[in-house]
Amino acid sequence: MSLGRFAIKRTLQGIGVVWGVITVVFALRFVTPGSAINAVAPLDADQATREAIAAELGLDQPLYVQYGQYLFDLIQGDLGFSYIRGQAVTPLVLSKIPATVELAVAATVVAIVLSIPLGVLSATRRNQPVDYGATLFSLFGISTPNFWLGIMMILVLAVEFGIFRTSGRGVDIADVFFSVVGPDPFVDTLLGWLSYITLPAIALGTYFTALITRLTRSGMLDELGKPYVRATRAKGLPETLVRYKHALRNTLTPVITVLGLQLGTLIGGAVITEAVFSWPGLGTLVIRSINLRDWPLLQGSLIVIGISFVLVNIAVDMLYAYLDPRVAYE
Amino acid sequence: MSDKDTNRRRFMQAAGSAAAAVALAGCAGGDGGDSGESTPTETDESGGGSDTEEPDTEETLSVNVTMGQMDSGLDPQDHAETNTEIIVGQAYDGLMDRDKNGGIIASLATEWERVEPGVARFTLRDGVTFHNGDDLTEEDVAYSIRRIVDNDVGISSPQANDLGAVSEVETGDGEVTVRFDGLNPIVFQLFATNGPVVQQSWIEENGSDFINQNVNGTGPFQLTEYDSGNQVSFERNPDYWGEVTEVDEATLGASSESSTRVNRLLAEESDIVTNVPPQEVSRIEGSDVAGVNPVASTRVIFLQMRYDVEPFSSQQFRQAMNYAVDLEGIIENVLNGFGTPTGQPTLEAFTGYNPDVEPYPYDPEEAERLVEESGHAGVEITLQTPIGRYLKDVEIAQAAANQIDSLSNVSCELEQREFSSLVQDITTGNIEDKPHFNLLGWGNGEFDGSQTIIPLLASNGALTILKNDEVDALMEEAQNEADPEAREEILREANALLHDLAPWVFMHQQFSVYGVSNDIEWQPRNDEFIDIDTVTRR
Repeated sequence: MSLGRFAIKRTLQGIGVVWGVITVVFALRFVTPGSAINAVAPLDADQATREAIAAELGLDQPLYVQYGQYLFDLIQGDLGFSYIRGQAVTPLVLSKIPATVELAVAATVVAIVLSIPLGVLSATRRNQPVDYGATLFSLFGISTPNFWLGIMMILVLAVEFGIFRTSGRGVDIADVFFSVVGPDPFVDTLLGWLSYITLPAIALGTYFTALITRLTRSGMLDELGKPYVRATRAKGLPETLVRYKHALRNTLTPVITVLGLQLGTLIGGAVITEAVFSWPGLGTLVIRSINLRDWPLLQGSLIVIGISFVLVNIAVDMLYAYLDPRVAYE
Repeated sequence: MSDKDTNRRRFMQAAGSAAAAVALAGCAGGDGGDSGESTPTETDESGGGSDTEEPDTEETLSVNVTMGQMDSGLDPQDHAETNTEIIVGQAYDGLMDRDKNGGIIASLATEWERVEPGVARFTLRDGVTFHNGDDLTEEDVAYSIRRIVDNDVGISSPQANDLGAVSEVETGDGEVTVRFDGLNPIVFQLFATNGPVVQQSWIEENGSDFINQNVNGTGPFQLTEYDSGNQVSFERNPDYWGEVTEVDEATLGASSESSTRVNRLLAEESDIVTNVPPQEVSRIEGSDVAGVNPVASTRVIFLQMRYDVEPFSSQQFRQAMNYAVDLEGIIENVLNGFGTPTGQPTLEAFTGYNPDVEPYPYDPEEAERLVEESGHAGVEITLQTPIGRYLKDVEIAQAAANQIDSLSNVSCELEQREFSSLVQDITTGNIEDKPHFNLLGWGNGEFDGSQTIIPLLASNGALTILKNDEVDALMEEAQNEADPEAREEILREANALLHDLAPWVFMHQQFSVYGVSNDIEWQPRNDEFIDIDTVTRR
């Protein structure tokens, strides 16, 4: 199969997944107790007020009519109207994407920077203190809930020592880029940005770091034992070249796959971390729309998360096949 | 736009200084304590401000507030919850307002009178302008009232019942006259709490999307930036009709995590945080940057019992439940003392509170005796409680259910329910569909007993669990009594009667507990509104 056909096939599958998300969220209205009217009307509102509000919001329509209308609007790029906030959903959801992507990428960067060197060190110094240390770290990273880690880091590093911010996103990465050409001092802007993003990125990236460390370690051990490595050594290549040019390169293929998939997960899965750090991203939006029974906003957020996940998956699949020619587009 | 840039730039300077201070502290081996202590309220981002920039930066008083939730849009007439009210209330005024203790004070109206039964007249203040520079007119006020009460004017407002049954609004000579169906004895209490005034032309020219993201009020602050669901920033309104506030800038944000709110306070990133849970109080009090400021709120917590199902149909059984619960113990142990015991639906200092009525004492033996007398010995009951809706709701319900369960002749179980699920049952029109026994809280911003008793305990109330002819008659009488003193007497009688009828296990008046920075002076209000304009430097 060609790359083009493969991409088309996966996109169609992706549309099916997103449609599934919409349908499931719609169906959830049946099984989830609590009406949106109660989020809008005061508790003691009389029946007439409730009915008037329901009619205004279109909630008095049968569900299949609401569903059909929603799909019809969606095809035109309209994610609906949040009846709780009185705002269009599309710009609201789109405005939260940068924060979530920024956090996901930062967490991934933290993971890459820490895990790959640690994994290599661990493999090349097998059964030495460094290896034991890395193993211990991985165990800690995999078994520590990220919300707990986040709260602890806030208490120590933000409240006690005041090195980082406790929460929020006062400076974003765009500010840092603009400061290169703009009037704001670059170093201060960068420090300001780091003071906000470092803790949530570490909290979100720790599990991932531990996972990639283990993956890199086992991959490296596997590669280092292979005949081609013995051949390169026999040729007299320096050990550094053997390790980093040959063995590490071959180790990275599965690592990149996991990295990509994990990035997709991070976009949708940062809900708890975002809540702990009051990070104004999609995760926070999802939680708030669930609490308020703001179905249009929840659907919009989930659709966007679903689309991101699907896109990242397609990209990873294609990258994987590109990196390893033995894998065909099937 | 420029405001955002200004804020950001100021933050950059602060961040730079803070970073330098941290670095210096590191080099000198000092404690670095001065990096955040100089003028934490100077910017919400804190840090020591730059001394090389404009000198007036030193004078800027910025107040940062962290609440539990953000707004649900900025339309002041299209919401019905406290967090939105706190945000839009910084920028919109009503005809009347309330002071710190709930007393009625003038706002956009300078005078008000009852012209005849069912007719109220308000004299408007001269020289009031909206944030866009236009003058406030009588028509704007009349439109605002109609937009709230009339579904055909713009929106179906969830505040439709907040002003009473308005039948007509007339204007002329700088006055607005409102006619009601019936007497509306608490018209001024209603207008002091409700009825934000908007500009007719501004509302009519803009769509809901715009109105919910922009502000054009007459209040002490005007909007500078709205980041939906994240942060709202205001600056002082230079043309405000009232006393000019000392506060230059105000920023309101939210964190649903109570520990994050407290951390923000202790890290000097926030000046006022709401809903400090009892277990966090000592952490704040132990710090040298902030303190705890509790105030009795207008919310009462109770366990309501449906009058029409056994065993709660028995007045003796209901009274027994009141004797079975150790209210003082719950307030002391679960709420760290942040609560006042109640024995009637109306709170102290509200119109209609009966000072002669005492809370039920904790007396399990009397409870057991009354259960026996009621003929329901050996009964099994279930208390339903919402999860996380009210301060320590689950823990309070757990304690109460355990105490009832420890009676020798009653078994009580606890069922925890998500609030939106429980409220679905509570707000159903039919009493038959309501829970038999559940915990609920009720906020009454009008400071009048009728606003609790009518919706919750009169037989035509939207949320009622009681049908008692005597209560109905008294409330009917109260709603048609124009003389305030005579009306208060009727309400007192109703409260005494309800104490004896015991439709609720009377629990406590909830406290609002705020964390407040030591750098500012601010007294909280009873009604949960945060009046940032009254903040001053300490």
